[in-house]
Amino acid sequence: MSGIRQDDDLVFRKICSLIEPLNEKGVELSRETDLIADLEIDSVAVLDMVMDIEDFYDISIPVNTISETKTIGELVDAIHEIKKEQA
Amino acid sequence: MGLFEKFRATAVTYEALKESAGRDPFGVSMDEMKGPTRAMVEGKEIVLAGTNNYLGLTYDKDAVDAAKDAVVASGTGTTGSRFANGTYAGHRNLEHELAEFLGYKHCMVFSTGYQANLGAISALVQPPEDVILIDADCHACIYDGCQLSGAETIRFRHNDPESLDKRLSRLRPDIKGKLVCFEGMYSMFGDVAPVKELVEVAHKHGAYALLDEAHSFGVFGDNGRGVCERDGVLDAVDFYTGTFSKSLASIGGFVASNHPELEYLRFSSRPYMFTASPSPANVAAASAALARLKGDQSMRKQLWENAHRVYSAFQQLGFDLCAPESPVIAVKLDNREQAFLAWNFLMENGVYVNLAIPPGTPNATSILRLSVSAAHTADDLDIVVGAYTALSEQLNAAAT
Repeated sequence: MSGIRQDDDLVFRKICSLIEPLNEKGVELSRETDLIADLEIDSVAVLDMVMDIEDFYDISIPVNTISETKTIGELVDAIHEIKKEQA
Repeated sequence: MGLFEKFRATAVTYEALKESAGRDPFGVSMDEMKGPTRAMVEGKEIVLAGTNNYLGLTYDKDAVDAAKDAVVASGTGTTGSRFANGTYAGHRNLEHELAEFLGYKHCMVFSTGYQANLGAISALVQPPEDVILIDADCHACIYDGCQLSGAETIRFRHNDPESLDKRLSRLRPDIKGKLVCFEGMYSMFGDVAPVKELVEVAHKHGAYALLDEAHSFGVFGDNGRGVCERDGVLDAVDFYTGTFSKSLASIGGFVASNHPELEYLRFSSRPYMFTASPSPANVAAASAALARLKGDQSMRKQLWENAHRVYSAFQQLGFDLCAPESPVIAVKLDNREQAFLAWNFLMENGVYVNLAIPPGTPNATSILRLSVSAAHTADDLDIVVGAYTALSEQLNAAAT
């Protein structure tokens, strides 16, 4: 069963909606989900997905930050941080 | 054993794909070269249609003679870096010739094209006050240059000046230096950048533009100076990078610029300072090939005629092509498995092309990358088009 774990965080939900089409194995998405190890998403596809997030929130997320994040939760936290900085 | 576990998943996939295709696309050995467009592979003569030999100069008499003479006169290797004992008259002369040909005041020769980008980017940009913006589809050496610099790196959407504009507008006001990196023609799909617009957007925001013309030098522009010549912005580019290993049929790379400060890189660019300089033969061959390129526009004309012939044939065959007509003609396949089989089918039919599969390809596509050379004869191209015609029939039969 694929699905998205209950979470009120809007950034988490946005990321999940962008990941869903790439989630070919139907893994349940949670903050602990590892983008590359669990979902087997190509590293370039992760960068492209992040670009959609950038345009959606009108922020810039450096490649350096993305390479330091492994899980959806870490990415969510990084985006919150950048949103605060670039607000 | 801990070091090797991370390779396992990829290794298993790769082994399975190799086995199903019957041949290893990433381990082909050209057992004997038969000229610029032919080689013996496993006892069979193959047409090489997956190279970067755009002008076909690898066996040019002038270049071969110059390389031979250089070995005799200056030896087989320099045994030192540009920074120490590795700068010969040939290296300096080639820098002058390239600067003069392109119309820039300064030029630095590196040992490879990879190192030219690595060396320029990593030296120019310094964290935390500088930032780099790169086209999403930039070559690995540009990504690696960013990583080596340690500076904040932001990707903009491929060939999209508006996306660059947005990202430059969002930068913190305390950022000091901004470097925008992109390429003339992209190596995998053969698509061409809107160079003029990208340079304009970069300059509007006070950023420097670094343009890599590795695949477009010798190929685009009235004099072969690249896409920026074609678009009339050659003198607006801040850093022009290129390679000797494509149109110049040798090995090595360069950065050219009108900024006199380029010279500072000679004592600050680690990929320039801490590796051996290109060998005398490589330098002499590049120099001779540049002279040929300057003096003879017919090679470029032939290259584009050959590209047109193959591109229109592929269009008629109904292949899914990745970009408008250029000397790089990439065909999109449905998935990795199909791409492996198609690649091997072409080998069986006497044609070598490049296979590119995810991870690392744009939009995770699996492609067969064909590149045309000015040295391809009508016979070569007959064999290429014949093999693709048979492939198209095979794919259509499998689909029905």
